[in-house]
Amino acid sequence: MSASILVAEDQTDIRELLVMNLRAAGYEVEAVADGPAALASQKERASDLLVLDLMMPGLDGLEVCKALRAQGRSTPILMLTAKSTELDRVLGLELGADDYLTKPFSLAELLARVKALLRRADLLRAAQANVGGEGRILRNGELEIQPAKRQVRFRGTAIDFTALEFDLLLHFASHPGHVFSRAQLLDAVWGYSHEGYEHTVTTHINRLRNKLEVDPMRPELILTVRGAGYKMRDEP
Amino acid sequence: MSVRLKLALTIFATGLVTALLVVATLVYSFQRFENETAYRRGMAFLVRVVSMYDNIFDMHEQSPEEFQRWLRGLVLYEPDIELYLLDAAGLVLAKTGPAPLKPGLKVALGPVRESIERMDTSYVMGDDPERMDAGAVIVAKPVHRAIARTGAPNAGYLYLVLHTQQLPTDRMDVLRSSFARPAMVGVIAVVAFTTLLALLIIAAVTRPLRTLTRAVATLSQRGLAAGLTVAPTSPLPAPTRDEFGQLTGAFEMLLDVCRRQWNALRRTDHIRREGVSNLSHDLRSPLTATVACLETLDGRWAEAGAPADDRRLVEIALRNTRNAAAMVRSLGDLAKLDEPEYRLRPEAVDVGELLDDIVLRFAERAAQKGVAVRAVPAADAAGSAPPHARIDVELFERAIANLVDNALKFCPTGCTVTLAARRLDTQIEVSVSDDGPGIAAADLPQLFDRFYQSRSSVAPATGDGGHGLGLAIVKRIVELHEGEVAVESSLGHGTRITTRWPAG
Repeated sequence: MSASILVAEDQTDIRELLVMNLRAAGYEVEAVADGPAALASQKERASDLLVLDLMMPGLDGLEVCKALRAQGRSTPILMLTAKSTELDRVLGLELGADDYLTKPFSLAELLARVKALLRRADLLRAAQANVGGEGRILRNGELEIQPAKRQVRFRGTAIDFTALEFDLLLHFASHPGHVFSRAQLLDAVWGYSHEGYEHTVTTHINRLRNKLEVDPMRPELILTVRGAGYKMRDEP
Repeated sequence: MSVRLKLALTIFATGLVTALLVVATLVYSFQRFENETAYRRGMAFLVRVVSMYDNIFDMHEQSPEEFQRWLRGLVLYEPDIELYLLDAAGLVLAKTGPAPLKPGLKVALGPVRESIERMDTSYVMGDDPERMDAGAVIVAKPVHRAIARTGAPNAGYLYLVLHTQQLPTDRMDVLRSSFARPAMVGVIAVVAFTTLLALLIIAAVTRPLRTLTRAVATLSQRGLAAGLTVAPTSPLPAPTRDEFGQLTGAFEMLLDVCRRQWNALRRTDHIRREGVSNLSHDLRSPLTATVACLETLDGRWAEAGAPADDRRLVEIALRNTRNAAAMVRSLGDLAKLDEPEYRLRPEAVDVGELLDDIVLRFAERAAQKGVAVRAVPAADAAGSAPPHARIDVELFERAIANLVDNALKFCPTGCTVTLAARRLDTQIEVSVSDDGPGIAAADLPQLFDRFYQSRSSVAPATGDGGHGLGLAIVKRIVELHEGEVAVESSLGHGTRITTRWPAG
C-alpha cells in the first residue's frame, strides 16, 4: 500500500504541481487550499505525511501544526515557507514540524525529503514494535530516553528536543561507543544528502551538547573522534 | 576644570590679592603716620631746646661730662628719644644713650641738612648711631657758639633720634592694634562674601550651559537613533533670552533638523528594505511554480525520449530560472540581514567541525567538477585546543558556504579549495583559499560590494556569473559578528579570503 500524503497549499499552481509530481512518484495524494480544510481532512482520515505551506489563509501552517500536535498526532510534517526569516524556520521545528523547505525549492529535493520523512516514520514504528512497545527505556549514565514517547530525561529533568535532534540522539544512544561519520549520520538520521545552506550535523550535535553537557566545549557524552566522526560514550 | 570652578578661583584669587594689598597699604600708612607724628614731636622738642639754650656748643666745650648729664636730663622722660651733639662734620661729640659708641662715629649729613632746610617735609630718615645698619626718624637743628662771627659755619648740630617701631614683628602689631583689627576682619569678610556670592551667581548663570552639556552628552551617548526617538522629553534647559538661551535654541533647531532628516532617512531605508523583501517574497511563488513546471517537463521528456534540442531548451530555462531563484533568495536574505532589528543567535561551537560539515556538503558537487575541497586540521598557535568560536552557526555556515561556492564556481578542474581555521588572540580566523585563476587587482577593492560584478569573473565553464550578492552577504554576516573579512589574490596563482570571528 502506498503512503498517503496531504498537501495544504493556497497557491493553485504550486499545489497542482506538487500533487502531480507526488502522484507520479507513486504516493496517494490529497490536496486542500487552506488550514481549516487540512485539519478537517485529518479528522476524517489521518495521512502518513503532511506537506504544509506556512502562509495560508484561515489557519497558517504553524497553527495547523500546533493543532495536530495538540491532538497527539505525530504525523511527519514538511513545512514549505516563502519567508527567509530564520526564526520562523526554527519555530517550525520547535512547534513540531519535522522538516522544512524554503521556496523556491527543487522538486527533486522535495521528493527526497518526503521519502526520508516517511522512512524515518517507518523506522520509528518498527523500532517501537521491535522493543515491544511503551516500556523500554534507553539509559546512558544520567541520560534516559523513552523512544515510544519521544521523551528525554537528563539528571531527572525532562528536556525538549526537536524531531531531528531527538532522532539523532536516539541514533547515538542506540549504538553507544560506535563511531559514526557525518555521511553515515546524514544517511541514517536525515535520510538524504544535503546541499545548500541549511546547517546540519555539527549544528545538531552542538545543540545536543548545549542541552546535555555541563561544558559543551568539553563534551563527556557525545564525543568528537577527530578525523572520523562522532560517538556516544559507552555506558559507564 | 569646569568653567564654574575656573571663574570662582579667579574671583577668589582677585579677592585675596586685593585683601593683601589693603593690608600692606594699611601697614605702610600706619608706619608713615607714626613717623610723622614722631617727627613733629621731635621737631617741637628740639626747637624748644635750641631756642632756650643758645650756648649749647660752649657748654659742651667747657665740660663735656656735665654737658652729657645735662643732655640726659633733657630726655629723662622721653624714653624713645636719644639726643646727640654733632660737630660740623657729623662726628658724634655727646650722646644720651647708655650704649657705648664706636669712637669717631660719624652720621650722614644729608638728612641733617634736609631736616634743617626743608620745612615742608613730613619726616626725615637718617642714621641711628646706636644701630648704624637700620635707619630711624631723625630731627636736627644747628647749634652755634655763644659768640660767633657772622657768616661763620655752624659749630655743630643737635641731633635727635626717635625710636619708632621699625621691626617686622612690630609691623604685625599694627595689624593687631585696635585700629586695624576691624578693618582686617572687614576685608576678610568682604573677600569671603564676594567669593561666595560669585560662586552662586556663576552657578546660576552657567546652569543652562551645564544642562545643555548634559543633554548633548546624553544624546551622543545614546547615539543619534535612540537619543532622537526620546527627544521630546530630552532634558534641554528652558530657553532664556541670553546667549545660553540662544545656544539652546540653536541646538534644539539643529536637533530638530537632524531628527527630521534621520527619520526621513530611516523611512526611505525601511521602504527600500521592505520593497526588496516583499519583492523577493512575491517572486518566490512564481519561481517555485516555474522551476517545478520545468523540472516536471524535464523528467517527462527524459522518459519519453524527446528530441535533444527540446531537452536542451528546458535545461537552459531551468538553469536560468534556478539562477534567478538563487538571486531572489539572496536579495531577500540580505534585506533581512540589513534590518536594524536583526539579532544574531550566537552559540559556542567548534569551528573545525563546522568546516568538516561544509566540506561534506560540497563533496558531491566538487567531485562532479573535478575540484578537491578539503579542510585542513586546525593549526593552533596556542597548542592543540580546537578553535571554539561564539557565532551564529547558521549565518557562519552560510558565509563560509558562499565562499566555497564562489571558489568552486571559478576554479577549473584539478584545483584545490582549502578551508582552514586557527585561533588568534580573541578571534578565530577562518580562511578559504584556492589555487584557481585569481582575481584582477583592480577588482579587489569592490569585491564585497553589492551587485559588483567583474567582467573577468564570469566562470568560464558555464558562463554562469555570480549574481554579485554572495560576497556581500558574507561581508554583512561578518560585520554582524563584528569581525573582519579580507582578500588576497594574484592572477594565475589563486585567491585567499580570510574572515575573523569572535572566539568562544
